[in-house]
Amino acid sequence: MTEIPAVSEPHSDAGHASVATYVKVALILTGVTALEIGVISIRFLTPIVVPLLLAMSAAKFALVVLFFMHLRYDSRVLSGLFIGPLVIAMVIVLALMSLIGAFVTFGR
Amino acid sequence: MTSARHGHRARFIGLVGVAQALGGCAWDSRMSTVSPASDLARSILHVYGIITWATIVIALVVSVTLAIALLRFRDRPGGPLPAQIRGHTLLELSWTIAPALILLVIAIPTIQVIFRTQGPAPKGALQITVRGWQWWWEFRYPGLDIATANELYVPAGQPVALRLEGPDVIHSFWIPRLGGKRDVVPGRINHITFTADTPGEYWGQCAEFCGTSHANMRMRVIVLDHAAFDRWVAAQRAPAPEPSGDAADGKTIFARSACVGCHTIRGLSAGVLGPDLTHFGSRKIFAGGMLPSDAENVTAWIVDPPKLKPGSKMPAVGLTTEQARSVAVYLLSLR
Amino acid sequence: MMATHEVALGHHAREQAGVGSGVWSWITTVDHKRIGILYGVSAFVFFLVGGIEALIMRMQLARPDSHVVGADTFNALFTMHGTTMVFLAIMPFSAAFLNYMVPLMIGARDVAFPRLNALSYWIFLAGAIFLNASFFVGAPPNAGWFGYANLTTKQFSPGANTDFWLLSLQVLGASSVLAGVNFIVTILNLRAPGMTLMRMPVFVWMALVVQFLIVLAFPPITVGLIFLMFDRFFGTHFYDVTAGADLLLWQHLFWIFGHPEVYILILPAFGIVSEVLPTFARKPLFGAPVVIYSGVLIGFFGFGVWSHHMFAVGMGPVADAAFSIVTMLIAIPTGVKIFNWLATLWGGAIRPTTALHFAVGLIAMFTIGGLSGVMHASPPVDLQQTDTYFVVAHFHYVLIGGSLFGLFAGAYYWWPKITGRLLNERLGRVQFWILLIGFNATFFPQHYLGAIGMPRRIYTYPAGMGWDFWNLVSTIGAFGIALSVFLFAVNAIWSLRAGAMASADPWDGRTLEWRTSSPPPVHNFDDIPLVLGRDTYWREKYGRRAASASTEGGSGGRGGGAAGAQTEAYFAAGRPPTSPPAAAHAIHLPAPSYWPIIAAIGIGVAAAGALLHVAIVIAGALVTVVSLFAFALEHHRNPAHVHQDGTLGIDHRKVAMWTFLGSECMFFGTLIATYLAYRGRSVVGPHPHEILNIPVTSASTFDLLMSSLLMVLALAAVQRGDRGQARLWLFGTALFGLIFLGFQAYEFTSFIHEGLTLRTNLFGSTFFVLTGFHGAHVSLGVAWLVTLLVLDLRGRLGRADAVKVEIAGLYWHFVDIVWIAIFTLVYLIP
Repeated sequence: MTEIPAVSEPHSDAGHASVATYVKVALILTGVTALEIGVISIRFLTPIVVPLLLAMSAAKFALVVLFFMHLRYDSRVLSGLFIGPLVIAMVIVLALMSLIGAFVTFGR
Repeated sequence: MTSARHGHRARFIGLVGVAQALGGCAWDSRMSTVSPASDLARSILHVYGIITWATIVIALVVSVTLAIALLRFRDRPGGPLPAQIRGHTLLELSWTIAPALILLVIAIPTIQVIFRTQGPAPKGALQITVRGWQWWWEFRYPGLDIATANELYVPAGQPVALRLEGPDVIHSFWIPRLGGKRDVVPGRINHITFTADTPGEYWGQCAEFCGTSHANMRMRVIVLDHAAFDRWVAAQRAPAPEPSGDAADGKTIFARSACVGCHTIRGLSAGVLGPDLTHFGSRKIFAGGMLPSDAENVTAWIVDPPKLKPGSKMPAVGLTTEQARSVAVYLLSLR
Repeated sequence: MMATHEVALGHHAREQAGVGSGVWSWITTVDHKRIGILYGVSAFVFFLVGGIEALIMRMQLARPDSHVVGADTFNALFTMHGTTMVFLAIMPFSAAFLNYMVPLMIGARDVAFPRLNALSYWIFLAGAIFLNASFFVGAPPNAGWFGYANLTTKQFSPGANTDFWLLSLQVLGASSVLAGVNFIVTILNLRAPGMTLMRMPVFVWMALVVQFLIVLAFPPITVGLIFLMFDRFFGTHFYDVTAGADLLLWQHLFWIFGHPEVYILILPAFGIVSEVLPTFARKPLFGAPVVIYSGVLIGFFGFGVWSHHMFAVGMGPVADAAFSIVTMLIAIPTGVKIFNWLATLWGGAIRPTTALHFAVGLIAMFTIGGLSGVMHASPPVDLQQTDTYFVVAHFHYVLIGGSLFGLFAGAYYWWPKITGRLLNERLGRVQFWILLIGFNATFFPQHYLGAIGMPRRIYTYPAGMGWDFWNLVSTIGAFGIALSVFLFAVNAIWSLRAGAMASADPWDGRTLEWRTSSPPPVHNFDDIPLVLGRDTYWREKYGRRAASASTEGGSGGRGGGAAGAQTEAYFAAGRPPTSPPAAAHAIHLPAPSYWPIIAAIGIGVAAAGALLHVAIVIAGALVTVVSLFAFALEHHRNPAHVHQDGTLGIDHRKVAMWTFLGSECMFFGTLIATYLAYRGRSVVGPHPHEILNIPVTSASTFDLLMSSLLMVLALAAVQRGDRGQARLWLFGTALFGLIFLGFQAYEFTSFIHEGLTLRTNLFGSTFFVLTGFHGAHVSLGVAWLVTLLVLDLRGRLGRADAVKVEIAGLYWHFVDIVWIAIFTLVYLIP
């Protein structure tokens, strides 16, 4: 067993989420997914639909990472190992998109 | 303007003068990057000079320190253990900040020149379309209805706006004495704007590896004064001269052979994959600028192009040496 | 995954453990020291190959209009020279020292995953042999080591040349990433007691930074190569301009890898110098924390400067200016390192050994290479310098003047530790001076050649350009370099036969590798040392003298409080410190295994099959899969397998999985970036909004989310020891995974019916490759879950094995979050 005692988790004695927490998280994930699908069909939300979708997607992403992948309860080193590359990856995604996207308007 | 120009150049040349004295190096050879002949090349050399000085100073500081350390701090048998110094915050801070300041000195003119040289072309610039092919250069003057290959004619003192188009793979257009290189990228349009100073011949070649004969993708820019340029334009716009004698035979052979599939000779053929040959005889070089245009070279080329230029996209079209010689005479007559 | 191989204590453990010296023992070895030697020998062989390629090129260029080789041969030579020196010489040279020294320097008995280490080596060798096999079938890669699209596409490079290149680079990349994960876990989790991160030797730090660079930089180029492979083999359009592609995509992906790669090549050498200089100046590294932070900063910034290789492509003034400034910033931490090295020498008692010669040579030569690098950080200047011999000179000052000088310093420094014998110092110094002179004669004139306009990658040049004389000088210099390398080989062979025997600590070293015998016993240390601070072995030897003489300046001396007390304690006791002998009677050593080499052979066969017949690909893949299963399961029941908690108090496998997931972020990030960058660029339909089926995908998304829930429930059950539930939830997760794959199969077939395939347009290419690779990950996850299920059904998945379920779960959830991103970015955003 390799559990690290939780640093800031009051209702978890062994540094672990309970089954009930997992089910709750799954319900929230389902709910947010339903919202996502709903949002794209509501016309007056069209102007802000992209940031809305990105926010909801990020929230789902974070829930899975924090609870299902236990990052919330685990060592900070593991968070660093994952979040560092994740940030580099996201910056590169944005840079690539703007570099290649910018060329579209420039070249065509 | 002129004195500033000479100032920068003099500084740079002065700096390399030492090397010149030692090694007999010439800095004004055909493709020299430090012998500018246009506004663009001069802007670049301005930054080039500043950076060269800065780096040489740093290199001297480092090497002198290193030499002193090596000479002074030798181990002596039975000598005491040196003081076990682990660091010094102030020193370390200072050699973090000092390079940062030097970089600022480099960065500011760099940014200025980037924005100055990449702006839109001035009004009245001569528009020329440059297309890089495996392995030759095509130059088209859209306003003048002229097409040429491997030799780019421009007037001195007038801004020239090049529009770079890539029909096959990536190439890079580079005439060192007229400015820095710019890639020719299929699917994208790039631009170079420059004003050549004085009439003369400037050499260049493709600078991005583009396949087998990359080394043979050369070109020249011929800068003419205004009157000479106008005469050149008039000559190029004229229809192809009508051949006589041997050259007339050559025309017949040309018209019947596969040549017409790829080459344009106005009034005779309309191929677009190879160079426009309407005024082939007016060019000093051909075959991607690797060969002088004379009857012997052109004949040998027509007989077996890949033999002269490895990988050449122009195949041997099955002409005999005799036929090839006639075609060569014809082509060279197209002045 | 340590099997037990119990070894009695003592210096003759190797013999007692029955570790022989025959070929079989090398093939099946999992000892980091032997793997290090394998890397070193292979690297030297390929270094010679790359060197011969360079000499032929120099002979061709010695004179204008020369005919030593033809155009195509020359193009193949520079392509293979670059690829070989980068991937098959310098990287494995560094890997050799890394393998041999990192465990010794951190006081470990081996790496975290010894068999994985062997696997990395054999995959490397398979890739290297495959790449060079191209010569024997007359199709050596010839489109440059940078392989710029679209020259590499089938249209412009129809032969197998480019296939050899792109396949072997993918194989080599896999090897590097596996090794990277292994060493990150090793360094983070296998440090001896007291070895805090800031007490680690700088070489180990640089190794750590380099491994992160490898793990994060290889996925983008792997994705770029996958695109190229799909374009060439399956007719996709990633680099097809007529379909709307942007050729700069390749250049970006290549240089996002390519620039960190520069640091992958140079930082190990920086690490070596940071060990050699203090040893021979008999003085600690000046400002060690700053040197470490500089290395970390260089690595980090290394991901933000790639476009300075692309100033000529026309990115526009804003991008040019931005990348120029970040590039200049990188010069600051690099400069700091050089000044700290100078300060290390200053005031020292310098012993001019050969290793020190090379280390000092690095400072001088790399400074030149670094400064010429600053010159082309300025885009206007770069436009005159890029793709000329000036740049050739620049990066050879970095890679020879930096990397190779550093690696030679390491070779002379560590040779006695590795072989137990000393190299000839006098010959070594002769070698150094010949290399220094030959190297400068070769490459210094190339600055001039570049400045007067000689382009790179030209197989010939006409007379009259002013290039003739210095090209001849350069060629002569190249033979000087060759002579120097030959002298090293002579020295090495002489030393192995007749060199003086080396003591455990011939240089009066400062770090832990000098604390054990030369060569070290198979288990490295009889007892694991207790680490007291930076330069722990020096402190151990010199005690109060070293401690009291030290002037702690800046932040250099923190973190030594507890260790200081310990120092006092053991010097009072008059004996060297070690951790309490926990397992006093036996040391667990990993057992040899032949599965790594078999798996690597399978990979090599599959790569060859790609050029021959699909049946061979399948055969090779089967061999690989079978051997990987055998590999994973061969020590499953071993008790030594259970407890793998390390320095961090976390299981190695968990640290490894998170590290790997970081790498996967880059992989999927690149795929997603490409999809998004190519959105709306397809020149023909069908387009996304005409074809994407959101209701069906919503259902499959829900299915995958729920599978994640089942996965955590399974883990919780295994941790509780509830085998019934564990089985149920594992089965459920696998089933939901299969259902997801079913949805995907339905989606793909309906798209194909509606006229969208990989080859239809850019949308088809990017969509199928992105979601296809996700689907492949799901399939792998299902296979993993089924394996666990089978283990469980056989009653072989107890509470002690929970970490196996946990890492499978981490992988599974990661695949889930990737889908969360894909669902939004591909399907929902209009």
